[in-house]
Amino acid sequence: MINWIAGFIVLLIKSGLVLGILLLLASYLVWVERKLLARLQVRLGPNRAGKFGLLQPIADAIKLLTKEDIVPAAADRPIFLLAPAVVALTALLMFAVVPVGRDLVLFGRSIPMVISDINVALLMVFALSSLGVYGVALGGWASNSKFALIGGIRGAAQMVSYELPLGLSLVPVVMLAHSFSLVDIVNAQAAYPFILVQPLAFAIFVISAMAESKRIPFDLPEAENELGAGFHTEYSGMRFGLFFLGEYVHVQVLGALVSVFFLGGWRGPWLPGPAWLFVKITIVALIMIWVRGTLPRLRYDQLMAMCWKVLVPAALVNIVITGFVILI
Amino acid sequence: MPSENRKNRTKPAQSSEVSLAETLKAFGCGFATTAKHLLRKPITEQYPEEKRQLPPRSRARIVLTRDPEGDERCVACYLCSAVCPVSCISMQSAQREDGRRYAVWFRINFGRCIYCGLCEEACPTSAIQLTPDFENCRRDILTLVFEKQDLLVDHGGKDREYNFYRHAGIATDGAGKGAHFDEDQPVDPTTNLP
Amino acid sequence: MLKLTIDNQPVAVPAGTKVIAAAEKLGIMIPRFCYHPALGSVGACRVCAVSVLKGPRTGIQMSCMLDVEDGMVVATGDPAAVAFRRQVIEWLMANHPHDCPVCDEGGHCLLQDLTVSGGHGRRRFPGKKRTHRDQQLGPLIQHEMNRCIQCYRCVRFYREFAGYPDLGVTGIAARVYFGRFREGTLESPFAGNLIDICPTGVFTDKPSRYKGRRWDFQRSPSICIHCSLGCHTTVSARYREIVRIEARFSPTVNGHFICDRGRYGFAYANAPERPRQGRIDGETQPVSTALDAALERLTTVSRTHGPDAVACIGSARSSLETLGALKRLCERRSWRGPFLWPDAQTARAVQTAAACLAPELRLSMKELEDADFILVVGADPVNEAPMLALALRQAQRQGATIAVCDPRPVALPFAFEHLALAPPFLADAIRIFARAAAGPPQAGVRASGGDAHPPDPNMPPAVQARLAAMGATARTCRRPVIVCGTQIVNSRTVARAADTARMLKSADKPAGLFFVLPGANAFAAALLSDENGAFNTLQAGIADGHVKAVLAVESDLPAAGEGLAPALKSLDLLVVCDYLNTAAARAADILVPTRSVFEEGGIFINQTGCAQRAAPVHVGGTPVAQTGGGDHPPRTFERSIPGAEALSAVQALDRLAGTETADPPAALADLHPVLAPFASRKWPDEGQLLDLSSEAAPSADWPPEEPPAAGKTFELVVRERTFGSEALSQRADCLRPLEKAPRILVHSDDAARLGIAAGDRVALTCAGGVIEGTADVRNTVAAGVVIVDRHRELNWPAAGAGWVRIEAKQIHKIEKERER
Repeated sequence: MINWIAGFIVLLIKSGLVLGILLLLASYLVWVERKLLARLQVRLGPNRAGKFGLLQPIADAIKLLTKEDIVPAAADRPIFLLAPAVVALTALLMFAVVPVGRDLVLFGRSIPMVISDINVALLMVFALSSLGVYGVALGGWASNSKFALIGGIRGAAQMVSYELPLGLSLVPVVMLAHSFSLVDIVNAQAAYPFILVQPLAFAIFVISAMAESKRIPFDLPEAENELGAGFHTEYSGMRFGLFFLGEYVHVQVLGALVSVFFLGGWRGPWLPGPAWLFVKITIVALIMIWVRGTLPRLRYDQLMAMCWKVLVPAALVNIVITGFVILI
Repeated sequence: MPSENRKNRTKPAQSSEVSLAETLKAFGCGFATTAKHLLRKPITEQYPEEKRQLPPRSRARIVLTRDPEGDERCVACYLCSAVCPVSCISMQSAQREDGRRYAVWFRINFGRCIYCGLCEEACPTSAIQLTPDFENCRRDILTLVFEKQDLLVDHGGKDREYNFYRHAGIATDGAGKGAHFDEDQPVDPTTNLP
Repeated sequence: MLKLTIDNQPVAVPAGTKVIAAAEKLGIMIPRFCYHPALGSVGACRVCAVSVLKGPRTGIQMSCMLDVEDGMVVATGDPAAVAFRRQVIEWLMANHPHDCPVCDEGGHCLLQDLTVSGGHGRRRFPGKKRTHRDQQLGPLIQHEMNRCIQCYRCVRFYREFAGYPDLGVTGIAARVYFGRFREGTLESPFAGNLIDICPTGVFTDKPSRYKGRRWDFQRSPSICIHCSLGCHTTVSARYREIVRIEARFSPTVNGHFICDRGRYGFAYANAPERPRQGRIDGETQPVSTALDAALERLTTVSRTHGPDAVACIGSARSSLETLGALKRLCERRSWRGPFLWPDAQTARAVQTAAACLAPELRLSMKELEDADFILVVGADPVNEAPMLALALRQAQRQGATIAVCDPRPVALPFAFEHLALAPPFLADAIRIFARAAAGPPQAGVRASGGDAHPPDPNMPPAVQARLAAMGATARTCRRPVIVCGTQIVNSRTVARAADTARMLKSADKPAGLFFVLPGANAFAAALLSDENGAFNTLQAGIADGHVKAVLAVESDLPAAGEGLAPALKSLDLLVVCDYLNTAAARAADILVPTRSVFEEGGIFINQTGCAQRAAPVHVGGTPVAQTGGGDHPPRTFERSIPGAEALSAVQALDRLAGTETADPPAALADLHPVLAPFASRKWPDEGQLLDLSSEAAPSADWPPEEPPAAGKTFELVVRERTFGSEALSQRADCLRPLEKAPRILVHSDDAARLGIAAGDRVALTCAGGVIEGTADVRNTVAAGVVIVDRHRELNWPAAGAGWVRIEAKQIHKIEKERER
């Protein structure tokens, strides 16, 4: 009983910590993105709220929270209201299976540095990622606006398509780690990160991950210059904020997954586990920002062609090669 | 031309003709360019702290200027209000005691003004002019409605020389018939002598 | 019909047409300054040049001077003609001042338009500009001679068309000057047309000087309501203020021109004292509250004292819709009325006129210009209906003989014969004329003894002889016309005039009958009221207490005189609906403001029975100049328009009747068979001649008049003046200086008998009170007649009617006073 209660309390603390840090990081990721993007474009970026604009995320949050929450008259109200929560929630839940460090021994008790180490964690990640599509598709549909609908349908098609290379690219990783558990996958990289043996899988995964998070050059669902703001055209205030938050949490989760699957997760010399994970996530996020600052948006046919004609065959070939190498 | 375009559209340009090396090089160039920009000094001007000298013909807050003798140039001819595409200028003309036509009241609603400069172009007396002073925002919309006393300035603006009443043949206290630029003395209608 | 080709388009026009008019028929406007359809051609400006490609003389010709020929080919856009016209503009502009921004004509200036469209922009001529000194031409017209382009339109209109001599042209060559010999007010009551016809800004409107540009005005086609002719006008309003009225072309009524009363009489609509809010017992209240109170109190009076205790009064200045609503109200509530006339004599005269105006006899003003003999009876055209004088002038220019039988000193801008006859003789005069016109040549010279009504022995034989001679002339004329007034004559004279016209008509000539009625909508009032519709008959009812409440709609009730004023005080309730601040409005227990013709529009039936519609010009409300207190308009946002609360009189009357009229013109159809065309709403906006044939012409078998006793009795005649008499235009400040000093006129013989000299103060004791004023002695006044000017300074309503008989002892001399 005591154990159960203690376990529950630990779980709550862990969840709270992860949630808090994740949200904080998400908000500052926005700041980093704006600042970095500005410098890539020879601008200054936000610099008015606090020193270097460091208080900008807080200002943004206040702004979003105090703005009027407008629901279009013709919208499907319940779905319209729920859709942003789906996006944010699935993104946040994905982090539950990401190990952030070595087990912590406290008061004689060994506490795993993961909220939940389930043996099919990888499948859960995919399941949640698939659910995230609902947020976009339903949000776009429930708005009852042509821009939002086109954006939502584009999002659904794009995310469903890119699920495939995303999953296929990880098959070799599972094959190498012999486990679906992310803890085990990280542990399997104790010697060397998988990126060294699976560069192609890494590349496919990163590209698919960016497409999953609807970031430039894959931001067709919200393509501003053609669709207004795509699936979230009709959203305002904190509901828009939730979409926004979901996107940046997604960036971090994908950063974490890239680290876990290919960069050795929290493992690394000299620094404690969480710090390594943070560094790795940050690096992945910075690269994504750099990509955003450099590449133009794909055309829709190019997007689909790339998925089905390049990434999926490449992932399949990679599986065959990996299997072949393991068998040998 | 349109048929050509349609042909192009039916067959999208495929990147298959480009080799992988070239593709990677193109990507590399792009990323290198943006990375280089990261190290450049931002070109942003910090506006309220750093103010730029605007060209004299830039178009912002409207003023009513005065002629070289210091009198109001505006004769309230209604041309600016007629040409104004957003109808932000209104006025009422009347005759002053000295015989000059002038604006009893003259109102510009800067809440509506789009600073297109057509009023200045239409003005036959160089009275209405746009100045480079663009810092003219208010919290109360009614304070953006400028009356004549808010618009009148004590100089000639961009045109320091012109004085309409020196050219018009209108008799005023300042100059009677025949006393204007390029005018003969008034005719005596009672004589037929040459 | 001659066929010619202009700009490759074939057109057929009658011989004698000018090329410029033929082109206009095709919709091609050849530039012009001096040419005007009403004034003809002089070929002064040279800007209508066209190229004649085929014709008697080819080359550049002035299209206004060139009669069309069969087979002629004309090119208006020929490069040579265009270059010629451009050059003409350039030399006209060589002397034109650089003052468009301060010129009121700017925006509707023909010279400006042609200069801009011709492309002239820079003065190449290095010489100096000629200048002129301007003249003060009175309160209506601003003179700025520098701008003149010597098109001569002004003098052609003023001297030739209108027939007034005091504006002319002096000087030679480039120094031609258009003005008066001496500075001073222009004498013509048509001088305002100079503003319209001047193609540039030499003559501009003075009362509306610098009020705005034409493009800023709200403009609507309207109908002048200052007399019964119903001239067409264009009204301009700006900032909730009526700014200017201009003539609107009408082929049948007024042509291109209007008189100054119609042009400048609109000030009542802008007046600061105009009622804008309701008033109950001296307290200002919202309009709807006042209306509710009026309904409640009128209903109470009607319940307690019976519906007969409420009387409804209207007037001939209301629109047809308003009169109809008033009539419906009376019928629905069984109230007395509508009383639309000041006195019974006028009521009967106008009703007789409306009944006698057979469709085959009536003629428009344009047709009147075609007459070659015109007998004017009991009408004073310049004073009662000024544009009629202009129409008579055109007839006279074309050779018509014009005679006027009227007791008043009639002045017309052309040569005519005036027979100064007292009102009782007018009917007989017509009879003498008619007999001469009908019978064998000798019958008219001497009165034949066998006639049922022998000629009046009191009428001077010389006059009778003249009348007989006129009748003889009329008999030989192609188109004789009788013009008959209704203000100072009785219904007998009116009926006799109609009979005579009918008689002349039957003599196989397109003879005509032309009435002059009192009030813009007098014809409609005659249709909608019965014989008892005169409100001075109410006086007795009020005095003996039968009438407890009066509802006066747009009626100058106490204009009925001091006699009615105490009667009004004894009323339980006086409800006034009006847009004027009349004495009745000031005395009212409940005042409900209404909308003027400029805000509501309305249908007015002119004296020929032509229903014409005035369109609303603006929504109304207190003028911005008044809400702004002379300075800039207030800096506030308001949803509603200040002072625009007033309802239309129709709406107000409907509220009192407890009904709602969805379509006021259509509802009129039920009120009178003549008004049936309104039911379909398919009647033209420019005017619908009502089908009067259903009206039975009353028999003219009237008992003989009681002859006046020479020297013992006098005929008191109230004379309307061009300015200062009519209810609406007398409120215009700009017309005050043009008003003639009101006088009491007597013939010199009578003056000698009565011991009155010009300048004496005279008092006339009448039934309705005492008329006191300065006497004037004229020989042009009929003997045995005293004429009182209808002017606010004289208590003319005391007379009780346009013509009454008074005893010599009722005329007193108060004191001697030197004429100022």
